Amino acid sequence: MTKGLLTTTVGSFSKPDALQRARNQYARGKLSREELLELEREATRDVIALQEDIGLDILVDGEMARGDMVAYFGELLPGMELGGLVRSYGNRYYHKPIIKDDVHWQEPLTLEMWRFAQDLTDKPVKGMLTGPYTIVEWSFDEYYPSRRDAVLAMAQVIRREAQELEQAGAKYIQIDEPALSTRVDDLEMALEGMAVVTEGIKAKTITHVCYGDFASVYPGFLEMAVQQFDLEAANSNYDVADMFTNGTFPEEKEIAWGVIDVHSHVVESVDQVKAGIKRGLEILPPERLYIDPDCGLKTRTWEEATEKLRVMVEAVRAVREELGIE
Amino acid sequence: MIATVVSSYPKIPNRPSPARLRNAINRFDRGAITEEEIRRIEDEVTEEALQQQAEAGLDLVTDGQIRWEDEQTYLARQLNGISLNGLTRWFDTNMYYRQPVIEGAITWQKPITVDDYRFAVEHSEKPVKAVLTGPYTLARLSVDQHYGSVGALAKAYAGALNREAKALQEAGATLIQFNEPAILQHKREFEQFAGLCRSLVDGITVETSLYLYFGDAEGIYPQILDLPFQLIGLDFVMGAKNEALLQSAPFTKKLGLGIIDARNTKLESVDEIAERIRSLAAGLASDQIHVSPSAGLEFLPREVAQEKLRRLAQGVRQAEAVLV
Repeated sequence: MTKGLLTTTVGSFSKPDALQRARNQYARGKLSREELLELEREATRDVIALQEDIGLDILVDGEMARGDMVAYFGELLPGMELGGLVRSYGNRYYHKPIIKDDVHWQEPLTLEMWRFAQDLTDKPVKGMLTGPYTIVEWSFDEYYPSRRDAVLAMAQVIRREAQELEQAGAKYIQIDEPALSTRVDDLEMALEGMAVVTEGIKAKTITHVCYGDFASVYPGFLEMAVQQFDLEAANSNYDVADMFTNGTFPEEKEIAWGVIDVHSHVVESVDQVKAGIKRGLEILPPERLYIDPDCGLKTRTWEEATEKLRVMVEAVRAVREELGIE
Repeated sequence: MIATVVSSYPKIPNRPSPARLRNAINRFDRGAITEEEIRRIEDEVTEEALQQQAEAGLDLVTDGQIRWEDEQTYLARQLNGISLNGLTRWFDTNMYYRQPVIEGAITWQKPITVDDYRFAVEHSEKPVKAVLTGPYTLARLSVDQHYGSVGALAKAYAGALNREAKALQEAGATLIQFNEPAILQHKREFEQFAGLCRSLVDGITVETSLYLYFGDAEGIYPQILDLPFQLIGLDFVMGAKNEALLQSAPFTKKLGLGIIDARNTKLESVDEIAERIRSLAAGLASDQIHVSPSAGLEFLPREVAQEKLRRLAQGVRQAEAVLV
């Protein structure tokens, strides 16, 4: 029997309240790095146990150690530092990272937590990275003469981290570029950066993109040097399926198909999700189609996420049975 | 020569300085402080912004738009016919604004920024300019469910803003500025834009200015010199082509030189700034020049914005000494 319709998630889970409080205390210097790390590990254990219990095929570490997908790297990378507070909207502020000097990889950035998570389970755990274009675009740059120079330097850093993950045994590495939709003219630069990151990587490479963003960079985005596109589909009523009706999806690539709306409290019915999976099967055969939620689950409580994922897994099992696949 | 800003000033300082406005808004949202208290803190932070601009050495300041949630919402929520939608990215920045939704005819009911302007004048040692977002940009960044076209919506906004400008004029404003970044993204609509500008400043006798940023004026230069404003500000950071445009036709109005990068923390040196002013302002009288950052300063941490303004003012003084 063929395998197919493997289940996974996009990457993030919401942080437990205790961890969120601990992060605030750590930021104010009231908690040690070691104490915070212990809470991050504890939350990661819970996230892995949760995913195993639900029966997912490919797991994530839930990003319990990351606040923001760019600041996390900005804080750790030689050549970068966190800048002062900048407002993003309303009363929300963040420390926007600054590229101060030549960025270079010195030691693993994400490996430790990935390894911790992978040691807890026999299922594969995805390595999660932010793409070079997004890191540059969401930071101040005081060093490089052009954004392209910065993106290519950052690409070397992320490439090295991807190699580390691969060497440690990661079978899936996801590299996200959410900044791309802002300036569609930068597509070439982002593609160039990703090609540097994934060249020679044997692990399966993935990039996640939200629907509205995908529509704005389609079809050029499909040239991105990854093997799998992780697409938001449920939230836009599967409109994205219509883009691929003429066999426009590249022959050698795969899709991770979002069938759970992460922006809604409402738990989907099994039938709804089955219908969503079948829309995906109109595009690709089951061995090239993975099933997951639309986006990171950090917008949902663990209870909501659990309920939604259980429905997803049940729907996948039902479709697998109908199709006679393992 | 005038050293000035374009519009906003960062609302809170970095740690360990207390983020008073941020904390006050949090407490207000939880119902822990009254409306009166939050207004008092807004006033105090506005005073702080005025004082820091003066300390930096600026000649002309704004109230820092401390009370503004963003460049659309503050005006839109005080006009009739508009509700507010979810968050949308503001141009290609990492900042988000609430999208105004036009549900009915837009009408101006009462002054929106006049009390703010008066407060700033009373508490500033330097002259203050009044700043409004222009009708075209407001229209472009709104969701129209009523007028049927950007043009008709922009015209309605222009009518309302004209009332606001008149109220500012009555309150004693000596310079009223309109920010219109959106027209640089839609230059084909320039003719319509020119018509809008005429109704916008109809009956306004005090000096007015138009600031165009996040791009260059190629394709609408020198036409912009026919617009009914005495001063036009251009962005020489994101609009690299503006420098060549100045060579192509003489600048016949007061010129706003947006030469400090308002979107990057990298600091320009005083010499660099002075040299930039000298080369761009060549052939123009010194009193016809306003020098500023390329856009509002809220994209930067406050301490960086302060340092940029100090250098800007020093660069202006240095350039002036040579030009005069």
